[in-house]
Amino acid sequence: MVTMAGTLDFLSINVWHILMAIGNLLILVLILKKFLFKPVQNIIRQREEEVEKVYSDADKALSDANAEKELYKKKLDDAKAEADSLIKTASDRAKAESSEIISGAKAEAERKLRVADEDIELAKKKAADEMRDSISEMVISLAEKVVEKEIDPSAHASLIDEAIDSLGE
Amino acid sequence: MEIEVTGAKILLELPFGITITETQVNMWIVMAAIAGVCIWLTHDLKVRPTSKRQIIAEFLVKTAEKFVTGNMGLKWKWFVPYVAALFSLAMFSSLISLLGMFAPTGDLNTTLGWAIMTFVLITFYKIKTNGVFGYAKSLTEPIFVMTPMNILGEFATPISMAFRMFGNIASGSVVSALIYAALAAANNALFGWLPGILGEMGEKLPILQLGLPAILSLYFDVFSGVLQAFIFCMLTMLYIASAAETDS
Repeated sequence: MVTMAGTLDFLSINVWHILMAIGNLLILVLILKKFLFKPVQNIIRQREEEVEKVYSDADKALSDANAEKELYKKKLDDAKAEADSLIKTASDRAKAESSEIISGAKAEAERKLRVADEDIELAKKKAADEMRDSISEMVISLAEKVVEKEIDPSAHASLIDEAIDSLGE
Repeated sequence: MEIEVTGAKILLELPFGITITETQVNMWIVMAAIAGVCIWLTHDLKVRPTSKRQIIAEFLVKTAEKFVTGNMGLKWKWFVPYVAALFSLAMFSSLISLLGMFAPTGDLNTTLGWAIMTFVLITFYKIKTNGVFGYAKSLTEPIFVMTPMNILGEFATPISMAFRMFGNIASGSVVSALIYAALAAANNALFGWLPGILGEMGEKLPILQLGLPAILSLYFDVFSGVLQAFIFCMLTMLYIASAAETDS
């Protein structure tokens, strides 16, 4: 119940009222802290964190993209190097093969040439032998005709050969 | 006609000589209103604000922070709620007179209490910064004879602050009461001579009291109330900040 008990003087000092004024002020400080400053500052801090997160995410995405770019560049370089080495080995092999083929062909040709030379030599020798035989026969028959008597080729062979050799020289 | 100038009405008497007056009740009303507004402003806050309420709440907080850190420096950020409470309580305690209620700041006990808080903080920071001996020594400067004057000067600060606000607000209500009474007297003089029932009605109808008090209250209640709250906070901040400066 409200009891009307007069009024204070216009200018009065009351310790309880002074203390209550101070207490009221301090209570209002707590009220403002709890219901205004804390919530608003919290929300502002959350917003700053969110903005910070967005920025760091963007930075991370950028660095990821750069790293990936580096990776792809490296891969591309590797692929290029591999292609180069492939081409090089292929061309080297081709060169080696071609030189092998060429040298093989050369050797074959040389061999064939040598064989041919040997054949020729053989044929020459054969021809020379045949010629010598026929000449010796001819000489023997001629000599038979001349001496009218048979000449025993075996008995005179050495003589005849000597004569032919001297002819051939 | 008699005009009585009194303080707050005593509403309740408790043991030990404690009394509850209009000052306390009206201050509680102001505090409840401030608390209610704060709760309403800050419920349902979002990281991405969608409501005007939240923008107002953030604006109030930022303004209070700028007001305090701008005058005192960034390391006084923890002091923001105190200044905000002081400013809002002082301002709305003065503005409550617009509703025809007794202004708690028109009671010397209120303003003296707040000024004592300021004084305690000033002295605490002077002692914290300079030490007890440094503080005592600063009272004897520049010469020893000045010591009583210096001590007087220390107490003059809160007393002048308390009386500045009290005087402005209380004198505003006194002037308002005087003008109201004067207008009532003029009203009576103007209409009271009318014969019969017209005269009685003329005396009772407050015709002349309609316009002028409203305009005057715009100065005495609104302007003076806001200005005094601002001055009180400014002085509190500047005195405390300079008390905490190491160079004092």
